[in-house]
Amino acid sequence: MQDPILEIRDVGKSFPGVKALSNLSMSVHRGEIVAFVGENGAGKSTLLKILSGDYQLDEGSVLLDGVEASHASPLEARLAGFRLVRQEPEIVPDISVAENIFIGEYPRRSGGRVDFVQMRNTVTDMLRRYGFWGLVDIDASGRSLSPAQMHIVEIMRALKQGVKVVAFDEPTSSLTHDETERLYELIRQLKADGLGIIYVSHRLHEVMEISDRVAVLKDGVPTGDLKTADTTEAHIVSLMVGRELEHGFKREETTRDEVVLEVEGLSSRWHDNISFRIRAGEIVGFAGLVGAGRTELAKVLFGEYQKQAGVVRICGQETRIRSPADAIAASIGFAPENRKAEGLILVRSVIENASMAVYSALSRFGVLRNQQMISAVSPFIERLEIKTPSLTQDVGKLSGGNQQKVVLARWLAANPRLLILDEPTRAVDVGAKMEIYRLMDMLAREGMAIMMISSEMPELISMSDRIIVMNNQKISQPVEKCDATEERIVNMALGTATA
Amino acid sequence: MNKPDGFLKRIMQAIGAENLSLIIALLAMVALIASQTEFFFSARNLFNIAQNMAVVGLIAVGMTLVIVSAGLDISVGSIAGCASVMTALVVVSTGSVLAGIGISLLVGLALGLVNAGIISFLRVNPVVATLATFSAFRGIAFLIAPGGRPVGVLDPTFAQLGSGRLFQMGEFPGVPVAFVILLVVALGAHFVMSTTVFGRSIYSMGGNPVAARLAGINLTRMRFAIYAISGALSGLAGAIVTARTSSGQPASGTQGLELEAITAVFLGGALLAGGKGTIVGSMLAVLLLATLSNGMNLLGIPTFYQLVAKGLLLVLAVAIGQWRMAHAERVQARLTSTGAT
Repeated sequence: MQDPILEIRDVGKSFPGVKALSNLSMSVHRGEIVAFVGENGAGKSTLLKILSGDYQLDEGSVLLDGVEASHASPLEARLAGFRLVRQEPEIVPDISVAENIFIGEYPRRSGGRVDFVQMRNTVTDMLRRYGFWGLVDIDASGRSLSPAQMHIVEIMRALKQGVKVVAFDEPTSSLTHDETERLYELIRQLKADGLGIIYVSHRLHEVMEISDRVAVLKDGVPTGDLKTADTTEAHIVSLMVGRELEHGFKREETTRDEVVLEVEGLSSRWHDNISFRIRAGEIVGFAGLVGAGRTELAKVLFGEYQKQAGVVRICGQETRIRSPADAIAASIGFAPENRKAEGLILVRSVIENASMAVYSALSRFGVLRNQQMISAVSPFIERLEIKTPSLTQDVGKLSGGNQQKVVLARWLAANPRLLILDEPTRAVDVGAKMEIYRLMDMLAREGMAIMMISSEMPELISMSDRIIVMNNQKISQPVEKCDATEERIVNMALGTATA
Repeated sequence: MNKPDGFLKRIMQAIGAENLSLIIALLAMVALIASQTEFFFSARNLFNIAQNMAVVGLIAVGMTLVIVSAGLDISVGSIAGCASVMTALVVVSTGSVLAGIGISLLVGLALGLVNAGIISFLRVNPVVATLATFSAFRGIAFLIAPGGRPVGVLDPTFAQLGSGRLFQMGEFPGVPVAFVILLVVALGAHFVMSTTVFGRSIYSMGGNPVAARLAGINLTRMRFAIYAISGALSGLAGAIVTARTSSGQPASGTQGLELEAITAVFLGGALLAGGKGTIVGSMLAVLLLATLSNGMNLLGIPTFYQLVAKGLLLVLAVAIGQWRMAHAERVQARLTSTGAT
């Protein structure tokens, strides 16, 4: 066999507190389709971003067609022949399809003018050649495109001169069945043209249909490199989730009878007729793929997004929640997933960030007393082992893991009846993780109801009393703790099996 | 290094470490000016500076709230112009000083609410919204002044607001009334900003509006309160201009105040992005600016140069803030890369 067109050798990448990839070695040959599968956070996106030059690797090397490309910038990676078809393409709304395809690489005429004629001709040729002619008007503005058309534009961007390896990141998530079939034809054509192809997807049946080889990642570590013809979906799933529950946490049943949250027939832009309840002392885990609508559900309940129909009852009382302030008044807390953007005031101090949600409770006639602020939050700062030189340090100057703990401290200080945690331990180191689990357990024991959104299977299974799986705007029947296995949850989330 | 003793430490805390550079700059400037002219240190001149601070100072107090909340209010000078005319009209027709001051606050408050309404409900960026009202309010000031001309006020009690002195005796020229008003307002604002839920919420919403909303802060209500306060204080500043010039001025005396107030707030340590800034810092910067223009006047530097100097100062103030932010980011990057968690 020829030399591989893409060779990844012992690649490793760390972020503060997490090892995103380690010891990954892989090769992709000319005319080969290699699928990368793994759960959320297994390291697939990290790998694609290293290849596309968005991230720089810490260890190992990348060879593209025999040429060293380990530390390429995005432009260098492109020039070397690597193209990424992104899941959510960036489309400029007010320029044409042809310009969107050639953005940053406009063909030129003398005097720096754009050669519009050549651009249109090239785009026309490309669309004809790859079977997309007639599906998208090359003069249409970016704004007018459907998600599928945007995807076609993104694919065309990748297939320009000099391309050697194309990576597709969840290419079918916005495509219909017919469009997916057309994409397969295109991919097979690229394969016949001798390109190396990387195919990243959650949808295992697609992987089985299109790929020649499957590489499985789990927690940043490769756990399998198989010929697709020799394997089964079930085997791939077991490689994706088959890890020991090494950081598991044993919880005792603490559920009480009192229902804290009752949601009935809730519908919104992202949800269709959802009903469930969470009782006092109960931790209900919400599983699902990224984009399944879990974060949106949390934000609808917290009043940041509006619901279209349905009733929410807090402790039996029908409650209208139209803003986060309403939610806090109804004794709900919400620690968002994206802490830097949504959780923290980076230019303000630890103590301000931690006490923000309880300002009114700590004040008398609108005046805050420093001593009370300190005594309200410092126990949680200590318990979470937040490492900060002082309470007045700006949160922006703390490390990532500690910043996340400050958001948790805020809601622990508020002590709500219902606490919504969106990925509570993302990018938190193992020690702090256990501390967060202990706190969650303690809070449940004291009667708090906890809604925990998580993409980490061991966390979901060990911490939840019941697990609800979201898929396609709907939720599953709750899976009781005793029935919850990683395989079952993953299958439900992927939609490959029904509960 | 020796540990600073308790007294020094307490003074440092009261001033705030971030204001130290301002104080050093102020002292350096004072030394420079005083070495050129003896008159600078006379009580009369010092109280002149204090008196001249009052108008810009009041506006800068409100502007501090606005900028800390990540907004901007360019219309403050025009609001002061409207208030100046209205105050003159009311004092002339009622003869009541209190009614005059009351109307100045009311006019300012109402125009501030207009700003907040445009920003909140029409979703216009604060810079554009208040640039628009900067022009519109100035127009209104001319429209309400009969014939578009200044309205004369010959009430001696009212004039005290602008040029009156307290504790005047013998050689001692007395403390300007306007300065005392500024002092009271600034102290009150300092208390509000540093210890009340309202004040802390301004810092939160300026630092990250999404996070603030998710922590239960009603951003719209906050914005109305902030712009109303900024407007009311601009109105009060307008009343002082009326008292000092004995006439309600649609334009003269209130033009360019936005530039000086914004410069002072940035120089005082506020960030354009919001979330940072203190009343103490802004007031020190107002003092610095007043001293600078006093010094330039004493040294006979023409007004045109002073305009250039003010422009340079604004750029310098924001550039220093940007440099500080970049520096803080570098520190964080270093912490992260060394794995300090």
